[in-house]
Amino acid sequence: MLLEARDVVMAFGAFRAVAGASLDVAEGDIVGLIGPNGAGKSTFFNCLAGDLVPTEGRVTFDGIDVTHLSAERHASLGIGRTFQVPATFEDMTVLENVMVGAFLRHPHRNDAEQVARRVVAATGMEAQSDLRARTLGTPGRKRLEIARVFATGPKLMLLDEALAGLTPSEIQRAMALVRDIHGSGIALVIVEHIMEVILTLAHRVLVFNQGHVIASGDPARVVKEPAVIEAYLGRAHVRRAGAAP
Amino acid sequence: MRWGPVALIVVLLAYPFLLQGPFYEDLGVLVLLSAISASAWNIVGGFAGQVSVGHAMFFGAGAYMPLLVYQLWQLPPVVGAPLGVAVSLAIAVLIGTPTLRLKGHYFSMATIAVAELVRLVVGNWDLLGAAIGIMGPARPRGWWDLTFRSAVPYYYLFLAVLALVLGATWWLQRSRMGYYLRAIRAGERPARSLGVPVSRYKLYALMLSASFTSAAGSLYAFKTGFIDPESGLGILVSVQMIITAALGGAGTLFGPLLGALILVPLQTATNTWFGGSGSGVTYILYGGIIMLLARFEPGGLLVLYGRLRGGALRAWRRHAA
Amino acid sequence: MVLLQVVVGGLLLGAVYALFSSGLTLIWGMMNFINFAHGEFVMLGMYAALLTVVWLHGGPAVFGLTAAVALFLLGVVIYFGLIRQVMRGPMLAQILSTFGLALLLRYLAFWIFSPNFVTLPKTSLAGSVNLGGILLAVPQLVSGLVAVTLTLAMHLTLTRTTIGSRLLAVAEDRQAAMLMGIRPDRMQSIAWGLAAASAGVAGALMATAYPFSPSVGETFALTAFVVVTLGGFGSVPGAMLAGLIVGLIQALSAYYFGPIYKDVVVYGLFVALLWFRPQGLLGKL
Repeated sequence: MLLEARDVVMAFGAFRAVAGASLDVAEGDIVGLIGPNGAGKSTFFNCLAGDLVPTEGRVTFDGIDVTHLSAERHASLGIGRTFQVPATFEDMTVLENVMVGAFLRHPHRNDAEQVARRVVAATGMEAQSDLRARTLGTPGRKRLEIARVFATGPKLMLLDEALAGLTPSEIQRAMALVRDIHGSGIALVIVEHIMEVILTLAHRVLVFNQGHVIASGDPARVVKEPAVIEAYLGRAHVRRAGAAP
Repeated sequence: MRWGPVALIVVLLAYPFLLQGPFYEDLGVLVLLSAISASAWNIVGGFAGQVSVGHAMFFGAGAYMPLLVYQLWQLPPVVGAPLGVAVSLAIAVLIGTPTLRLKGHYFSMATIAVAELVRLVVGNWDLLGAAIGIMGPARPRGWWDLTFRSAVPYYYLFLAVLALVLGATWWLQRSRMGYYLRAIRAGERPARSLGVPVSRYKLYALMLSASFTSAAGSLYAFKTGFIDPESGLGILVSVQMIITAALGGAGTLFGPLLGALILVPLQTATNTWFGGSGSGVTYILYGGIIMLLARFEPGGLLVLYGRLRGGALRAWRRHAA
Repeated sequence: MVLLQVVVGGLLLGAVYALFSSGLTLIWGMMNFINFAHGEFVMLGMYAALLTVVWLHGGPAVFGLTAAVALFLLGVVIYFGLIRQVMRGPMLAQILSTFGLALLLRYLAFWIFSPNFVTLPKTSLAGSVNLGGILLAVPQLVSGLVAVTLTLAMHLTLTRTTIGSRLLAVAEDRQAAMLMGIRPDRMQSIAWGLAAASAGVAGALMATAYPFSPSVGETFALTAFVVVTLGGFGSVPGAMLAGLIVGLIQALSAYYFGPIYKDVVVYGLFVALLWFRPQGLLGKL
């Protein structure tokens, strides 16, 4: 098991954003995290990534307890993540952004540059290598974030709404990229609102609502569960959708 | 072959022969000193984006130690220079660790306060000359006292140190540390997510910057042979570094040098024109320049130049098309 | 008895600190922005008082008002001319902007007014009173009391009036405030005006009691920083409390350790606060 999260609780004062969530990710898995806004997905995500230290619970990666380790340690151990609102290094070029990622495993500048160039080419951004990140649009920035974290050589990538705000054709392109990345042996945990993406890509899905995991399993089956429909649309729609599977 | 930098190097090397006489020699020395301190500040303030407004404490440490070892033990001031660096490094580690944790404005305020504390303490410490200060060798006992009558030997000494600082900065820019510092400046959270040990690198940057700033302070002590809390540890020392670096371009290699090339002659000119109240007018100008810079082109002149050139190029292309 | 006098004197001065710090903390709370020129606003208030007395022969009420109005306008102008644009820029620009302003104002004052320390010509506030055995100079006493009143007034304005709640709304959540039709720009400019005005009045008050020169701005700025940090960034009640505490600590340090040490203790406290309890006593971080 690559990543194990057990009974993670994230409390801010009296408010429990995540009220006991567990997750298993094996090598080669693609796990989707879905749920309405404010359900606790992103908070849980940040706990996995090391941005937040859970109030309770444990996160283990590759056999190592990473619960209380810093975000940078998470990254060096092989957990990479992207941000919901792209956080590219605006005044640095595309290549330089990716180089920052590459430097993690390649301390020497020439090696890092080579690796970065390869990643930039592999993610289809070669033409924009020398453009500053701030000149890219949202799709470009999201792609750059993925390229940049890919250059850190992760074993697991946490993608936070990497496809949000993209047009249908951009979504197709992005999904192809995500598949390529998965193909190179990286496990994925994806937070997404776009059902098509989840249904197509994810092997398994966890549904969050109000800090709890209310359903998990095969995507196609899970989205028809009454509890899930209720979480998104309210009880009335459950009745209208008819009973279960 | 890029002619600009080559021409610059030639001019810098030949300057004392191009413009002769004590006035120009002194001016040259002052420009170099300003460029060294500003370039030193640039490492942590420009590249890493940690706007320290208390760098005077490092400059002061570098300036006080040489004169102190002379006064106490009659040693050549140059012996005190590495001691100054050691003290500065100690301050950087001691102060830096808790202070670099602070964000943006908090960090800057903390650096001001700490530097002021240091100034107050030194200004009341008799061993360090209190408010009166410390003097260096009135007459040199040999070349090792670094007390020259003419400014020319100082010029070349300072030029060598500037070359060292710029060389280190150039290497830094290309290295992992440089990229990590720029990433930290651009966004600490994403930097962390890529494995950048943010706190550690900020401290490294501060330590490197502090060492070079201390060297600048030592050079100042060699040249002027005198230091007191105002000239060594006053807030204007810190401000001078920042504005020089920012004017030319904080975070660029040659920005601080460019800033020095503009501001030092400017300061000399206003001092001459306005006589006694001259230094006051200089700071009125400085204040105005800083505000304009902040308002219109925080990247400094080098960035402005790049933008104008790009704009002119685009306009030309449109015209030609 | 002397100790009591020192304590009361410290509290009275602390009240004035509270007055000029409350504006600074308001700006911080609204904009996450530190005005490095705040000390200069206080200094300008002192000189505004001087000019009013010398040119218009006004009494304390007049020059207090002049300082308030002049500085209010200055604050608004600075907001629209400089701060609004700089807020969108990089950190270096934000810090440099008010720093440059501080330099400009300070050295303009040096140039125009000369670096010598001056005092206000004798005003109606002169002499001293004996309150239960404690000898208090009238200017200090009046300054302190007026400062307390004005700071309280500011707090009440913020919490009890419409415009006050609008200002606080922007401080709390800019986006939400915008959605409710409040214009952050306008509110922020008012905050700047208020902050500058309170600094100016504080300066005018202090001018009645102490000699001043253009150099005093720097110390006041640092004092304001300490008060704001201790009281908690964004909290006016915090600034009130912290101002009194800082005034007290300063007075006691000077009394026990000597006048040199009053600044050392205060700055030391400041640095310790930033390291160990940046949210201060009552603030939100």
